[in-house]
Amino acid sequence: MIIHSSTQVSRFTLLRRFPLPRGFGVLRESRIERGRHWPAPAGAKRTKTFEIYRYDPESGRNPRLDTFEVDLDDCGPMVLDALIWIKSKVDSSLTFRRSCREGVCGSCAMTLDGTNWLACTRFITEMAGRASVYPLANFPVIKDLVPDQTHALAQYSMIEPWLKASEPPPQQHERLQSVADRKQLDGYYECILCFCCTSGCPSHWWNGDRFLGPAVLLQAWRWLADSRDDAKGARLDALEDPFRLYRCHTILNCTRTCPKGLNPGKAIAEIKRMMLERTL
Amino acid sequence: MKPRSPNIQNYRPQLTSVLSIANRITALISTVALVAFVAWLVAAASSPSAYGALYAAAVSPIGRALLVIATFAFFLHLCGGIRHLFWDALVGFELRSIYASGWVALAASIVLTAAAWLVGRHL
Repeated sequence: MIIHSSTQVSRFTLLRRFPLPRGFGVLRESRIERGRHWPAPAGAKRTKTFEIYRYDPESGRNPRLDTFEVDLDDCGPMVLDALIWIKSKVDSSLTFRRSCREGVCGSCAMTLDGTNWLACTRFITEMAGRASVYPLANFPVIKDLVPDQTHALAQYSMIEPWLKASEPPPQQHERLQSVADRKQLDGYYECILCFCCTSGCPSHWWNGDRFLGPAVLLQAWRWLADSRDDAKGARLDALEDPFRLYRCHTILNCTRTCPKGLNPGKAIAEIKRMMLERTL
Repeated sequence: MKPRSPNIQNYRPQLTSVLSIANRITALISTVALVAFVAWLVAAASSPSAYGALYAAAVSPIGRALLVIATFAFFLHLCGGIRHLFWDALVGFELRSIYASGWVALAASIVLTAAAWLVGRHL
């Protein structure tokens, strides 16, 4: 099956997950236990089952997988609507981040049916029979569906994501840019830092402590591609490292999963080419 | 210590990730096959009896199956490598091209494996 856009949900999947034991490489505190079942309210006609990852740091217990029966006639069309319905109608302790409910803020990024997406822009009808909802893959979990982004954001601050100009801005107007130069930022400035791509990157799973990951590298390219920025050399120096940049093996799970339809894989290839070109 | 959300235990296999891991596995198989190839040369250079024993092992059903796997691994790694060469030149990064080139690499390596065996039998 040819995927034309990251919005497409795979219809035909040979395997729903890699043929590995559930506990493969999982530390003791991360083992997922069986949770409880929350039935639909009496009288619900159309229901859908959601398997949701739960973790309560105050319980002292391991994460568990709860199943919820959601009444579709009482609930909005998106996965986020289902989560809000569960929180207000069934279990008020279900915890998740959400804000804009229109794919702009990136707060509700999570692993839906095994791939990363925003809960607010995924239709419930696009989910599998037993819909599965996990916090962003490979992130430490604060509670339920809330991932701890401390490390990812620290990596983001490492690339110094701000304009570095050698001259002060003009008095009369802002720093101007030609239409063509501005076009170089298209496809990169739209990133909302939801970290769907970084969370879906196997290289970042195995080497996330040193590899910066697709989201941060896309941002790095956004500043390298900016005609107003004068710190290209220093930015490239900071990235020239076997791990920070070159742990990207062009797997391209990032481009497949980006909820904004951006291309982190291409941005990283652009950085690699710029790195090569400066040595020529 | 905070628990970690599952990664490979829960993330869905996609053409992107499957072909990436396949590229590594086929490199491993090709490396092992290279050792077998050297063993074949050494046997051929040492004595007719050594060569005969190795030849008998190679044409046995298991030997043939391993050789087919090694041939396929070689071609899949070759096609995957060519795909990476295009990416290094920043060609074919649209999602549609990523998937199209992935399926083409897979189909081409099956065709090339079949072709190599058909040609080999008629030599």
